Amino acid sequence: MSLINEDEALIAAALNGSAYAWEKLVKRYEGKIYNQGLRLTGNASDAMDLMQEVFLGVYRNLHRFRGDAKFSSWIFRIAHNKAVDMKRRKRLMSAQPRSSDQDAGDDFDNIASEASYEPEVRLDEVQQNSQIVTMLKMLPMEQRLIVELKTFQSLTFEEIADMQDISVNTAKTRFYTALKKLKSASEEDHVLS
Amino acid sequence: MSCPKTQFLLQEYFSDDLAPLAREELGKHLANCEYCNAELESLLLTQSTLRHWQDQRVPHWDRGLNLFRREHRAPAAGAGLWVGWQWLPTAASFAMLAVLLFNLTIVSGEHGFSISFGPAADLQAQLTTFQQLQREEMQSLVTRVEDRQDNSNVQLLQAVLEQTQQSTAENLDRIYAYFEQKRIQDLQDMRVGYQQLVDSDYETIRSLNQLAQFVSYQSEIR
Repeated sequence: MSLINEDEALIAAALNGSAYAWEKLVKRYEGKIYNQGLRLTGNASDAMDLMQEVFLGVYRNLHRFRGDAKFSSWIFRIAHNKAVDMKRRKRLMSAQPRSSDQDAGDDFDNIASEASYEPEVRLDEVQQNSQIVTMLKMLPMEQRLIVELKTFQSLTFEEIADMQDISVNTAKTRFYTALKKLKSASEEDHVLS
Repeated sequence: MSCPKTQFLLQEYFSDDLAPLAREELGKHLANCEYCNAELESLLLTQSTLRHWQDQRVPHWDRGLNLFRREHRAPAAGAGLWVGWQWLPTAASFAMLAVLLFNLTIVSGEHGFSISFGPAADLQAQLTTFQQLQREEMQSLVTRVEDRQDNSNVQLLQAVLEQTQQSTAENLDRIYAYFEQKRIQDLQDMRVGYQQLVDSDYETIRSLNQLAQFVSYQSEIR
């Protein structure tokens, strides 16, 4: 059975009340959603909140999933919308570059302490993730979302434009601008270090 | 030194639907424009840095199972099918309590069961009838046991008698054979006795003859 068909089978079983199918469905996607949350929010606590909101949204709308698109696309669209909602509510991260290293330090600690519970996670991997989070935090949310969708979810600009209700050219421009900012931040970081 | 085409061209570079001809033109420009090429290299390096993200394990959470089970009224893990029957012991307890409190009486008669609440008015009569029935039943049982015992005794006596008769006949045969054997033996003894007597008589006669001959001889001598 292919992954897509397996998703559909699990959805059908979950709609019939199978808790086992629901748990299996969540397990298949929770890792991707959680890590997406880490990159978008920059800390484990908000990533956890975001993930729970996403799966609550999936649960409430599961009966509306028609199978026209892949379940993975559908769930990542929900995740995207929830991240935008969360940003509006909590103003997750500042659109301006950080002026205080203290805030960044808190977020690093958050992720690092979360990862330190896992003995197999090596220190350099944690540091790598912290560096990526630091870079992403320098972007405004709309650019961060496009980087997430293009680089980590491998969506096309057409799909991103459709998801964000913007033109394809706007999506391309935002992505390019975001990459340039990240490049500058990375170069500054190397110069300072 | 910069290039006025950099932004437009590099935006298109990351596009997914760039026509082959346009991509070829882009390649030519990048090969000739040092600035655009350097800019592209740095952007690709930045994107590569992002892709070094290492997925982190999800902290433990209930995966929405509590909500799911609550809304689907699914049984908790391990409860099995018995959850639907949990009311049964409680209902049985209440039923027993009602039987005790309302003094419920269930009587089985010829016309089926009858259920009554409170102390029964004809309980004594029912008890008398019940005792009478029990007595009759007991009498009937005793009679049947006696009949069965009589039959057994008769059969036993008959068996003993048959055995005794058989033994008596065998004993008479044995006595008769004994007497016959003794009679034959006596006849034989008698025959031997006669023979001995005859032999003795014969010896006596011969002795008498010898004596007579001796006497006559003596007479002659004289």
